[in-house]
Amino acid sequence: MNYPVWFVPTFGGGLLIALVAIIHVFVSHFAVGGGLYLVMVERKAIKEQSQQIMAFVKKHTKFFMLLTMVFGGLTGVAIWFVISLIHPAATSLLIHTFVFGWAAEWVFFLVEIVALFVYFYTFGRMDNRTHQTIGWIYFGAAWMSLFLINGIIDFMLTPGSWTSNSDFWSGFFNPTFWPSLFFRSFMSFMLAGCYGFLTATFLEDETTRHRMIRYSGIWALVSLILSLPAGWWYLSVLPSPAAKLVSGASPTIKRAVMTGGFSLAVLAGVLIALILLNPKARIRCLIVAVMLSAMGYMGAFEWTREAARRPYVINEVMYSNGILKKEVERINQEGFLKNAKWVQHKEVTEANQLEAGRELFLHQCFACHTVGGFNNDIVSRTKTMGFGAMRKYLATIHEKRYFMPPFVGTDSELKALAAYLTAGLHKKPLNDDSGAAGDRGKLLYEENCAACHSADSIKPKMKGWDLVRVRASLDKLPALNPAMPDYTAPPADKDAMAGYLFRLNNSVAAVPAKEQGATLYEENCAACHSMEQIRPKMSGWSRDKIRAALDKLSALNPAMPDYTGTPAEKEAMADYMAKQAGGVK
Amino acid sequence: MNPATLIPIADTLTAPNGWFQFFLMLTFPLHLFAMNAMLGAGLVAFIGHLYPGRAYRELSHELAKALPFLVAFTVNLGVAPLLFVNVIYGHLLYSSTVLMGLYWLAVIPLLIIAYYMAYIYDFSFKKLGNLAMFVLLAVLVLLLTVGFMFSNNMSMMIAPASWSRWFTTPDGSLLNLADSTLLPRYLHIITGSLAVGGLFSALYATTILKSDPEVAEAGRKLGMQLFSWLTLFQLGVGTWFLLSLPQQTLQRFMGGGTTATALLAVGILLAVATLVTGFKRLVLPSLWLTLPLVYVMSFMRDVVRGNFLAPYFNPTTVPVQVQWSPLVFFLVTLVVGIGLVIWMLSRLVKIKKAA
Repeated sequence: MNYPVWFVPTFGGGLLIALVAIIHVFVSHFAVGGGLYLVMVERKAIKEQSQQIMAFVKKHTKFFMLLTMVFGGLTGVAIWFVISLIHPAATSLLIHTFVFGWAAEWVFFLVEIVALFVYFYTFGRMDNRTHQTIGWIYFGAAWMSLFLINGIIDFMLTPGSWTSNSDFWSGFFNPTFWPSLFFRSFMSFMLAGCYGFLTATFLEDETTRHRMIRYSGIWALVSLILSLPAGWWYLSVLPSPAAKLVSGASPTIKRAVMTGGFSLAVLAGVLIALILLNPKARIRCLIVAVMLSAMGYMGAFEWTREAARRPYVINEVMYSNGILKKEVERINQEGFLKNAKWVQHKEVTEANQLEAGRELFLHQCFACHTVGGFNNDIVSRTKTMGFGAMRKYLATIHEKRYFMPPFVGTDSELKALAAYLTAGLHKKPLNDDSGAAGDRGKLLYEENCAACHSADSIKPKMKGWDLVRVRASLDKLPALNPAMPDYTAPPADKDAMAGYLFRLNNSVAAVPAKEQGATLYEENCAACHSMEQIRPKMSGWSRDKIRAALDKLSALNPAMPDYTGTPAEKEAMADYMAKQAGGVK
Repeated sequence: MNPATLIPIADTLTAPNGWFQFFLMLTFPLHLFAMNAMLGAGLVAFIGHLYPGRAYRELSHELAKALPFLVAFTVNLGVAPLLFVNVIYGHLLYSSTVLMGLYWLAVIPLLIIAYYMAYIYDFSFKKLGNLAMFVLLAVLVLLLTVGFMFSNNMSMMIAPASWSRWFTTPDGSLLNLADSTLLPRYLHIITGSLAVGGLFSALYATTILKSDPEVAEAGRKLGMQLFSWLTLFQLGVGTWFLLSLPQQTLQRFMGGGTTATALLAVGILLAVATLVTGFKRLVLPSLWLTLPLVYVMSFMRDVVRGNFLAPYFNPTTVPVQVQWSPLVFFLVTLVVGIGLVIWMLSRLVKIKKAA
């Protein structure tokens, strides 16, 4: 709200950050571990007086320099550029809080550059001892860079006591600092082994190639084994909401963890195979397997860390959309638009409701949701909800789904956002449809059918039909009459329309409680899964089983919050869902 | 729309503002020196390709070897001042960054390509033959484009009046082209850079390459010619830039402000003096005049920024919550880091001497 938003509707910033960060992570960790690898292999060459190994180190150093200094250095700057573009408020907070940490990191970056240049260009021209010292200086500076960045990155997930005392060191040496430092260090050594393995396979001399493959393989394997307890330690110090997300409450994280686990297993297996069977280790597909699985393991960790702090960009301090947690209450009182800098509508009126809603969307939702794009598309995620349902959903969005930030602003602002998300994005009507599905059904009918036939004209045709038959007919309109197009609306709309059509021939009292169930379903469940998605999962379930399940949703899937409706509401929803599932009694 | 209403609230500083100003003004010229050397070495190497003879060929080759180092140091020495700009003017910089997001992000791939091409130019100089000069030309064009993006962001950041364009064009495709100071500003810094880069090339040739007198002389000649003629040209460009400034800012340099006027006077004096030493091809005297000149220019630039921002933002009003220990930690790191760099370079000099 303090900053403008870079708005490319179909392209989300989150994806861009992930892309740049993932590339940088692989290269920058290699830049650290690789430094140690270089001096250790050089030492081995000196000790064994092996010209071949020394030639290998020199060649590997060139590859290392071109990859880490150019690509690693510039992608590091790129992350800074990207986050200041996507999350300016968070970037500003991190820069201001840790400015001297960043500044010190810059010094180490400078030392790294000088050391690496000197190291590379003086191979064979400097005495061994001095050359090794330069190598150690490089590694020391690179590891110190990791040390510093690690503190700041972990601060974002676990700011610890900084939230109360604003102390630099409290934020820096935060609860996940040490486990993460160990984990990242081992990870960097593991990557160095993997990259070493990659360059070693290109060695012409067979004996040296075998020796270096074995050496690199052991490097990677030992580091990988050591990284496991560090990773475990890391997970064990996560605070409760993050730990809950990681242990299964978030489907995305669950996928990431599974990818990580799978990659880990493949990596370990291939490495062991390579160490044992190194004469055949020149097979290129094994290199690919090693590199991909190493990156999968590392990437899964980073993804989990990023996702675990949701809905915050800085845990418990700033939400993903740049709003400070401590400001929420005040803004709720005073209004978001009034406090926002980059908005044209400072107040919601009837005339500007949709435009104001769009601005609210831009500043509160667009940080994570694209509009019709690949990443977290808001259009597909809101299509099943009507205006009334959306309002209810937004009011408790954070409570219902922890990883979404709360809506921040006044009631009229919330209404404006709901209007944009329904009427703005989907041309849905702006009437308050909660509990009055019949009215909405009428509107839907008018929008979709009345151009060809009035309600009066079809009323006699449906005489004697029960609600189920009316509803089912809406799924297969062309079968009723080949001239009619399919009605492709979401099930909730069809339910509402069916209710309306049924009432044309029946009194309001005859409308069964199932309609209430449909509305309740829409308000409480449809944001995450449409009826189509869960219908197959309930196939064969009795109504009683469905009713019982509504009492313990989180047991079915940790990602689902428990449904807190009244027993009567649960009965209504169970009726509705049983009907949808196939009407088993 | 009142532009002031768009300006974000600045975050609290963790040290008195003067420290950040000090670090900014200390490190920014360092970035300029590296950047100037990079661009100038590139240009001199390129011109070297246009002259016949072994000496010029060799000069280009030697400068090719220096180019990747210069790119690396330009980037590294750019990080520090950009960090301090982030601290003092971050709320303004991020706003203009969002406005030109697409172009700003393009800086990274452009730099990566330029950097790798500089390495190709260096490692494959002989193999490339005549193609080498085109590779180098591409590097130069890419780097000059990156510079143009920076000029845009740095000038848009101090011009909140242009920001409301975001409401109609929020996709990050805005540049600051309508600003009449943009072009002279960009030309001013590029001309200055190439001139100083010429001086660097002359210095490089007469020190590092002195073992080959022919090459050293070719470098000195080309470098100093470039330096002198561009400096002469700069007097014109600089005047254009000065006159393009808003009346109020201009007046400060014309006697309205003591510091601003003094800076301009010293700047012109130094520039004229470098013309004398430059056309006489005196490398070291030119260098001793240029070093302070770059600092003077940086200070003038800061005065301009302060004047542009005066109606909107005063850095001294930002809240400060001081914590000294991180600052001390940085200073200690800086001293240790510089010590290590000096030690490593001394080892390098030692083996050079031994050879």
